[in-house]
Amino acid sequence: MTAYIVRRLALMLPVAFLVTIGVFMLIHLTPGDPALILLGEDRSPQAIAAIHHRLGLDQPLYIQYLVWLGQIVHLDLGRSVTTHQPVTIAIGERLPATFELGAVALIWSLLVAIPLGTIAAVRRGSLADRIATGFTVGGVSIPNFFIGIVLIFVLSVTLRLFPFGGYVPFAQDPYQNLRHIVLPAIALGTAGAAINMRFTRSSMIEVLNLDFIRTARAKGASWQRVVFIHALKNALIPVVTIIGLQVGGIIEGAVVTETVFTWPGVGRLAVESILNRDYTVVQGIVLLAAFSFMFANLLVDLVYGWLDPRISYA
Amino acid sequence: MRRIAVVVAGLALVAACGPSGSSSQSTTPKAGGTATIALESELRTLDPLDSSLLVEREVFYNIYDSLFTIDPSLKIQPGLVKSWDVTDPLNNKFTLQSGVKYQDGTSFNAQSVKDNIQRYKTAANSRRKSDLKSIASVEVVDDTHVNFKLSTPDATLLATLVDRAGMMLSMAAVQKGGQDFSLAPTGGGSGPFQFVEWKRNDHMTLKKNATYWKAGLPYLDGLTYRAIPDVNAIVAALKTGDIDIARTIGAKDVATLKADSGFIYKDIPALGFNGFELNTAAAPFNDPAKRKAVALAIDRYQILKTINFNIGVVGYGPIPPSSWAFDPTEKIYDKADPAAAKASATGFTFTYKTTSDPVNQQQAALMQSQLAAAGITMQIQTEEFAAYQQECQQHKFQACGVNWSGRIDPDGNMYAWWHTGGDFNDSSYSNSQVDAWLEDARVNADQSKRKLDYDNAQKQIAADAPYVFTIFGVSAQISNTKIHKFTLYPDLMIRMAEVWKG
Repeated sequence: MTAYIVRRLALMLPVAFLVTIGVFMLIHLTPGDPALILLGEDRSPQAIAAIHHRLGLDQPLYIQYLVWLGQIVHLDLGRSVTTHQPVTIAIGERLPATFELGAVALIWSLLVAIPLGTIAAVRRGSLADRIATGFTVGGVSIPNFFIGIVLIFVLSVTLRLFPFGGYVPFAQDPYQNLRHIVLPAIALGTAGAAINMRFTRSSMIEVLNLDFIRTARAKGASWQRVVFIHALKNALIPVVTIIGLQVGGIIEGAVVTETVFTWPGVGRLAVESILNRDYTVVQGIVLLAAFSFMFANLLVDLVYGWLDPRISYA
Repeated sequence: MRRIAVVVAGLALVAACGPSGSSSQSTTPKAGGTATIALESELRTLDPLDSSLLVEREVFYNIYDSLFTIDPSLKIQPGLVKSWDVTDPLNNKFTLQSGVKYQDGTSFNAQSVKDNIQRYKTAANSRRKSDLKSIASVEVVDDTHVNFKLSTPDATLLATLVDRAGMMLSMAAVQKGGQDFSLAPTGGGSGPFQFVEWKRNDHMTLKKNATYWKAGLPYLDGLTYRAIPDVNAIVAALKTGDIDIARTIGAKDVATLKADSGFIYKDIPALGFNGFELNTAAAPFNDPAKRKAVALAIDRYQILKTINFNIGVVGYGPIPPSSWAFDPTEKIYDKADPAAAKASATGFTFTYKTTSDPVNQQQAALMQSQLAAAGITMQIQTEEFAAYQQECQQHKFQACGVNWSGRIDPDGNMYAWWHTGGDFNDSSYSNSQVDAWLEDARVNADQSKRKLDYDNAQKQIAADAPYVFTIFGVSAQISNTKIHKFTLYPDLMIRMAEVWKG
């Protein structure tokens, strides 16, 4: 098991290396000049040249890449082009808000998806199944920014039940923290809920038709025991895979939701940094997102072993 | 340029209306309370040294004091400079306020002025160098007297010292803050409020400067700023009470908020101009007849009405009605005239670059139809802001929608834009007569002569049409009715020292 984990971690390095090349080229080849953004209405040829020099943008691209790679090897992501703040701090300051939003959105999506998916599978073709399927279609096809805007309009602006956007740290005021997180978490988690429900339902249907379920029933196990102990645990393997992808994708998912709800997380930082051509910050965030994906995948593989003892890693 | 884009996007412009809306100027000011203010985008720095965003200045004016201030009619008023003598154009003598302390307890004095100017002129990341180019040195006469020695006469200097280049910082606080001063300028200013914390993308908090040198001010205990980049979201936040004050809202929302008794909306003519650049160095607009045709075919009144909901006034040149150099007689291209446009040039095609902002898109579509009436085909090319900005600056365009937020002194609306090789002369416009007028206006101390220069230059620029002027915008403020003594300035800045809540 340990050897397996070490091997998987080692395999991440070449992937990470390719990611660094990809993200560096993408952001640097995008049209736009951070110096012009920084200078705004104060631009002059001298000022532009001075900024290019200070940021090293007057060097050939491969030199700029090697300099950056050298920094990463020393676990230094550099300083933000726009604010001079160290990139690790800029991202680190925002991670708690993004993780909190991602976690609450995930919990919300599972609370909706697993019971609904199970019911829909057990009562296939019933009214409950059709309602659940309708929810799936809606949840997957309505973009989360639209859900966000509708939630703001109805629950915040019209009914005044929830505050509009913003963030209060949990440590500062737990009640306000929860009030602020409800709407963005629903907006962010709904698509995931729909997908997870879909997977739970189809996987449950498959498992419920297997021989061991019939055996369990024949042994006289109660209906609840058959569904929740025998079937559900076995049906969760594909669901865990998809949840793993969702955990790895928290940062990407948060990009839009955080912007709509002015949530001070990594997603909003990413949007702002791309618009400002803040190369170092964008590179840092994409690297972080790539690593989250890789770690989430590793975690998923390990959870498989727990869910199905036949899967083992030697 | 982004600030401008934001202003255009959000606010529509111009105003014949003067301060409108009835502020409840009730009774005596009450001390206490805090106000939450919406900012149209996030800041990048809190140090005037490397600032380049309008939104940063909105905050600076409440943390830092400048050497000079303006009144709402743009007249220069005392700030940290109490009185001044500029009769000798190469030796500007300033008398400073005495007894002023920075928020970290150190004293403001002549040496501090010298150190600040020195820092702005020499620091590697300073964006103030060109602002202060005319200053050769600052001489400390005694604790409260300084002499600004200039290398060339500079009629725009006092106006420049109203803005960031004239903001005075505690050098002790700057040194203590080091590399992070621009993120946390604790104790750095002498203004009515002092820095507490800045959680980027969330909020910034300022608290009252209890030892502010203007006795009795400020009234509020503190300010909270929240960056809300979406104009619709700003209106939503005003309505939910999450913010008290905003500056940029969509023109489409102005009528509703004006009618709502819970809010006070005011606007006055702003300092900038709006319109689009034509590239005089490349086809098709290297042909003056084609530039003229476009300028003639655009219906400015229709743009004002349908895009800006009649907020603002039609624009004819670079100098807006808020300025002393405004020329009301300059009305070339007042009414759209498709027939005259056709007679000048027709049957050509050009590409207009703009950003994806919905208001910019609507305006582009409207102009497309107006030009079609004169047989001119305008193709719209929508680009993301950074890409569009770079291409316009590098002269890679035929027409490019760019607005200007404006400067207190008319030189700031003229020289960089229309002088040959100017920093903002994206159009590559060059006219030796215009150059001569703009150069003279820079050094001439006589305001009536300067105005004559600007009148002449404006007429020529409007006629040559390197830029098609459409609208003059407004400086607006929206607050809820708890906010009192809100004074509106044409420079778009929200000055909070005298504001109170009750």
